[in-house]
Amino acid sequence: MFLTLFSYLAIILFIGFSVYKAIQFAKMPLSNRWELYPVPKEPGARAHYGGSYYEDLEWWQKPRHVSHAGEIIEMLKEMLFIKILFVNQQRLWWISYSLHLGIYLLGLWTVLLLAGAVTELAGHSSLQMMSNTSIWAGLVYYAALTAGAAGAVLISIGSLGLFLKRLFNSTMSKYTTLQEYFNLLFIFAVAVSGLVVWSGDPGFNYGREIMKGLLTFSPIKADIALAVHILLLGALLIYIPQTKMSHYVGKYFSFHKVLWDNEPNLRNSSMEERVKSNLSYKPRTSWSAPHINPGSSTPADK
Amino acid sequence: MDDIKLRDMSKPFSKQLIELQNLMPLPAPYDQPGMEPALKPTKDTWKETYCTSVDGIVANDKLIKPKTKEEEQEMIKKFLSGLDKLFSDDTNRGFLKPFMLGVDYCAKCNTCSEACHIYKASGEKEIYRPIFRSEVFRKMYKRHKMGRSLLSQFAGGDIDINIESIMRLGELAYRCNLCRRCAQTCPLGLDNALITREIRALFSMELGMAPVALHEKGTMLQLKAGSSTGINKAAFLDLIEFMEEDIEDRIGRRYKIPVDKKGADILLIHNAGEYVTWPENPAAFVILFEEAGLDWTLSSELIGYDSVNYGIWYDDSQAKKIALAQRKAAKDLGVRRIVIGECGHAHRAASVSSDRMAVGEDNVPRESCFPILWEIVKNKVIDFDPSRNNFPVTLHDPCNIVRSMGIVQPQRQIVKALCPQFREMSPCGVNNYCCGGGSGFAVMNNQNFREWEAMVASRMKFKQILEAFKDTVADPGIVKYVCAPCSNCKGAMRDVLEHYQATAKFNVQYAGIVELMVNAMTKNDRPFFEFLED
Repeated sequence: MFLTLFSYLAIILFIGFSVYKAIQFAKMPLSNRWELYPVPKEPGARAHYGGSYYEDLEWWQKPRHVSHAGEIIEMLKEMLFIKILFVNQQRLWWISYSLHLGIYLLGLWTVLLLAGAVTELAGHSSLQMMSNTSIWAGLVYYAALTAGAAGAVLISIGSLGLFLKRLFNSTMSKYTTLQEYFNLLFIFAVAVSGLVVWSGDPGFNYGREIMKGLLTFSPIKADIALAVHILLLGALLIYIPQTKMSHYVGKYFSFHKVLWDNEPNLRNSSMEERVKSNLSYKPRTSWSAPHINPGSSTPADK
Repeated sequence: MDDIKLRDMSKPFSKQLIELQNLMPLPAPYDQPGMEPALKPTKDTWKETYCTSVDGIVANDKLIKPKTKEEEQEMIKKFLSGLDKLFSDDTNRGFLKPFMLGVDYCAKCNTCSEACHIYKASGEKEIYRPIFRSEVFRKMYKRHKMGRSLLSQFAGGDIDINIESIMRLGELAYRCNLCRRCAQTCPLGLDNALITREIRALFSMELGMAPVALHEKGTMLQLKAGSSTGINKAAFLDLIEFMEEDIEDRIGRRYKIPVDKKGADILLIHNAGEYVTWPENPAAFVILFEEAGLDWTLSSELIGYDSVNYGIWYDDSQAKKIALAQRKAAKDLGVRRIVIGECGHAHRAASVSSDRMAVGEDNVPRESCFPILWEIVKNKVIDFDPSRNNFPVTLHDPCNIVRSMGIVQPQRQIVKALCPQFREMSPCGVNNYCCGGGSGFAVMNNQNFREWEAMVASRMKFKQILEAFKDTVADPGIVKYVCAPCSNCKGAMRDVLEHYQATAKFNVQYAGIVELMVNAMTKNDRPFFEFLED
């Protein structure tokens, strides 16, 4: 039962810490504008050449067009393909994308294992799924097999590849901390332990058994290899949000709330209300240089 | 020399991290021996007083070595308290979010380095990588928060916080133009320029150590006298009167320049440096605005006649004071809008950086001059004859106007319409390279910094200029014109063209966009540019 409880805890803490991190950024004060063009939510050609509403005469008098589609498309390009790295550093992209695509495929694999577990709980055995007697069951089985196999291999290649690149590339090694090496090795260890478990059960039946255990809140049957894999994976899930590996949170804010945030402070707009509220804040402390507020004697005066 | 480690930042001052040698080669005709002026040696007196141990250059002339142990301890103490303030939502409200993102999430992929004109132009010196400065800062912060524990070493907190690392970091914060080209290439959307700016802010707002040209003779002078040039109201009014006469001398027509005209549609604010250094630029605005029949005025009130705001480069407090004073000048005049002349950082400071600093009546709309100027050309409000600009012209894109504001086309359309031999630099638009004068470098003239600006910071731009004019550059009989519609960019052009004697030897000229417009006016019977007169 320990492994079931630990799995629950790992999932809850992963989500909880990630959400907490997002809330921390969301609660930060309204930033000064720091946008960077091209901004994909600018409509039409402007999104491509990097134009903005400031190109219009008396821009504040004109209706503001925001291309949400443009923003979403650019976001998807970045999320699904890591486009900026591809454009600017393709050699690193191959390794990095291997890792990230592996993660995405294993995410899909998890969903498919869940679907498989539900299917099995609904009365289809693994054997039936494998023999394709039901189209749905067969689809779930083979899709999980493909996604899991490809994901595990890609994530192993990606994490080890990045580790080696950072170790042997003289520039990257200068800037890589011990923790960053550890992070990659941690992912690689989880991937390898998964590969070991998979080698003994190529159909990922153990995965569906785990899912069934989680769905029915019953003990997970595991040999030593599987127990080690579950413990490592759970620890990784708990660890990720504490580190820069949680950049799935940071990246949202850096693009949507900083680089692409060109919302102007127009009179009588909702932004003006936010600015008003922000400006009403009274700092408790102050910077210390003499010019900050000459003549004041206490922080409150400043 | 290239084997620089991040930890070298805390080594004794006697170790200079790099020598400025083997810079990026320049194209013809600067690929010949003897075309690269030698860098003057660092004086011993500078070494004793300032932090020359980064690269032998002095940028921050207020960053003075402490004379006693007590002063040293005080400086370290203030640095640490400033560090804490940067990470506080009480004292760094305006930039906390983007700053924390940059500190927390950098993946050290080094994609940013290839985008940086200073790193590339220097011959790829390690200390000029955008990530170098940020990573040193990150490590120092971790050391501050986690001490010397094993966990701190594990997380990267392995640089000693001592007077050497602090001073080198403060000096290194002025080896970045804050152009943000690196941020465009960051897969995580992070901005090393912002971290650089925050380091500058820490040194200015907590230690009171910002370059004299930016602070004492910059924002402080502007808040006191009305302009960073030192021009007060009386001097400004004299300059305007002189300009009326100068325009009459140049084109044979006299215009009454409107000053402090209540209720005008437009308050036009120039970088006041234009009045002193390039008066033909505000003069050209007068000619165009008057000929176009615009309802406009200049202001003679405090700060109302100087659009600069050096604060955005190094000090939030100064930036806000200046931005609000400019709005006040507009509000007092009762104008409908502020129009910013050809100054890149003033564009951004007024329109973007300070956008969330005022509400209600103080929130006077701010607009770039370029859409107005393009309307004049597009709608043929004034008659132009492009054949009068029949010489090679290229356009420099000021980072603040293009990359940080998204104004790309209007200025381009004007030059395309009025200059038959226009050619783009490569790259251009939002992917441009900085002129090398950005973030205050064009106004910093202390010790040997101007040499560094010209040789390293402006080197990539100079290369672009030479490549844009490669068909005619060697012929001094042909005027080559770099259109730089920004005061600081013009300052950088001045510095680099002088340094390499490109105007004297090869007739490479520079100025703004309105001068090109006035030069093409059919109404004028002689060129507006002196270099076109026989």
